[in-house]
Amino acid sequence: MSLPPGSAVAIPVLAVAVAFIAWCLADLARAGQVRYLPKWVWAVIICVSVPWGGLVYLIAGKSRPAAGVPLMAAAAGDSGTAASGAPLTRRVPVSPVAIEVDQLTKRFGPVTAVDALSFTVRPGHVTGFLGPNGAGKTTTMRVILGLDAPTSGRALVGDRRYQQIIRPLHVVGSLLDPTAVQGGRTAWSHLLSIAQSNGIGRARAMQVLEASGLAPVAGRRIREFSLGMKQRLGIAVALLADPPALIFDEPVNGLDAAGVRWIRQLFTSMAAEGRTVLVSSHLMSEIALTADHLIIIGRGRLLADTTTDRFVSGTRQDVLVRSPRAGELAGLLTARGAAVRPEGAGGLAVTGLDAPAIGDLAAGNGIAVHELVPRHASLEQAYLDLTGDSTDYGAGTPVPEGTATS
Amino acid sequence: MTAPQIATAGRAGPSRLARACDVLAFEWTKLRSVRSNYWTLLIAAAVTLGVTAIVAQSIASAPGRAPGGPIDPLVSSFLGYGEYTTAPVTVLSVLAFTSEYGSGLIRTTFTAVPRRRVVLAAKATVTGAAALIAGELLAFACFFLAQAILSRHHRGLALSHPGTLQAVLAAGLALAACAIVGVGVGAITRHTAGGIAAAITVIYLLAVLCLVLPPPWNVRLGRFTLPFAAYQLVTLHHQAGLLSPGLSAGVLIGWPAAALLAAALLITRRDT
Repeated sequence: MSLPPGSAVAIPVLAVAVAFIAWCLADLARAGQVRYLPKWVWAVIICVSVPWGGLVYLIAGKSRPAAGVPLMAAAAGDSGTAASGAPLTRRVPVSPVAIEVDQLTKRFGPVTAVDALSFTVRPGHVTGFLGPNGAGKTTTMRVILGLDAPTSGRALVGDRRYQQIIRPLHVVGSLLDPTAVQGGRTAWSHLLSIAQSNGIGRARAMQVLEASGLAPVAGRRIREFSLGMKQRLGIAVALLADPPALIFDEPVNGLDAAGVRWIRQLFTSMAAEGRTVLVSSHLMSEIALTADHLIIIGRGRLLADTTTDRFVSGTRQDVLVRSPRAGELAGLLTARGAAVRPEGAGGLAVTGLDAPAIGDLAAGNGIAVHELVPRHASLEQAYLDLTGDSTDYGAGTPVPEGTATS
Repeated sequence: MTAPQIATAGRAGPSRLARACDVLAFEWTKLRSVRSNYWTLLIAAAVTLGVTAIVAQSIASAPGRAPGGPIDPLVSSFLGYGEYTTAPVTVLSVLAFTSEYGSGLIRTTFTAVPRRRVVLAAKATVTGAAALIAGELLAFACFFLAQAILSRHHRGLALSHPGTLQAVLAAGLALAACAIVGVGVGAITRHTAGGIAAAITVIYLLAVLCLVLPPPWNVRLGRFTLPFAAYQLVTLHHQAGLLSPGLSAGVLIGWPAAALLAAALLITRRDT
């Protein structure tokens, strides 16, 4: 592991500075002038010398392993393996941390971004946090992370407010905006500084860097990174302290196919280890593959808080039947209590009867059936149905062709 | 059910001192890992030494006395330092906060260390200490350079001359004071352009404004500004209208303290 490039310059410069001032003082002491210095000069000398000691210690001091977290404890081959095969998570079992949002309201002037929102994110699940643009997802996440103060209500992480957590990266890892980095800094310096802020050792920082696949570009400035690389760096920061809870805002943006698969596997394995994983997205298709629980909001209000399975089974479903004698079949189906809606030439969209019943009915009456298709509304469609009324910036509802002439 | 486990994790946590060291290391790594900081300091040092040499040379070769009275060989050592070092260091220290607000990194910082006043204190300490080191180094360098040139014309001053060492040390302290004012102003304004304008106003322009006031008031108010206080500390012959050196040192500490206090009050009340 290499020392960061800055220290090679900083240590000699500091050493020369200290030696130089010490020489000046010693020279004066020899000349017998020190006795005549006023008291406040001594105060200045003391003020000048104490921070030096601290700085020299910070630069030259050995990296301290984090208290209470067995950084080097477990060997490789554990769960949570990533792109390069290095282990990302080792702390097993994880002490569970739930995220609880309780009657949370956040107003920005006249705009209510989050409106009396309540939900709980439980350990051991990947929870998808869905809503159209401007629904209040990011605001909610910021309040959870103590970045924005709620107008009323509260958000708790493991029964505490985020601000009350000591070394919070050990409890919650988060990624809100991967582009919120300073371009002039190298990836390694960025990661190292954040590791130091929570008492995480250099070894762990290096390990996370390798696991995220950024080790070869660690010495490059972040300014040169693509969005996908910044995304990986942000994920590395979130995983630094191996936290039991993770919060990601739109994590798939900008990732390539391999990256998307990596992060999906990561979420699933994290949840399997008993961690709490909250992932926001404005696209259902991104979330449906990984999340087993869904929290859907629109205009700051809770629209749904349910498991993905239940959400799917609750969606609209019908059967498409196509027959040359559609009119006759429609009459029979209606008589059996089904709702029938014509669809295209000779097609019927049937709800209230399943496909075998429709097929049997047609056969029993000698009606030929050319097509018989059970249909589920896609998750995406169900999600759009749910949030359709609460979209802030929606395009107007398109007018179906031909309606004007009929 | 989860509460006891979390509580245990918190109680087993590190001491207050260890956490303070963590945040200091965090800020120090951020400060030293931006290459442009080094370049700015290096160029500032080169320009300062150049200007100091020119000032010393022109004073040394001036025939007789300047119209404004006797030339103070001590003050003349710091004429270049007072502007060509202070201005860039002030800008860098304003950037300590505003660059994080501008890029959004401040959210990562406050997520890592949610106690924002600790972040403010750490930034002020690290930036102030770096400015102090750079300031003392440059102050001594300026002093020796100027005196080397002046002494060839037998106008030089030894460091052991009474009042000289304290003046050179105070010059370094003044730079740290300006840097901490810059950090505070940066945290208050949160925008680079506004922050730099505000810091330059507080540090320089207030004094310039005082200079154009009618006579009794120019010094009466001016003595509370940073440049006047710094002048009183680096001069060999104390000016009668100004504050005593001890009180001037108080002014030098008062401005950064006020800036940090205002920043500490505001930093926790705002969303990021």
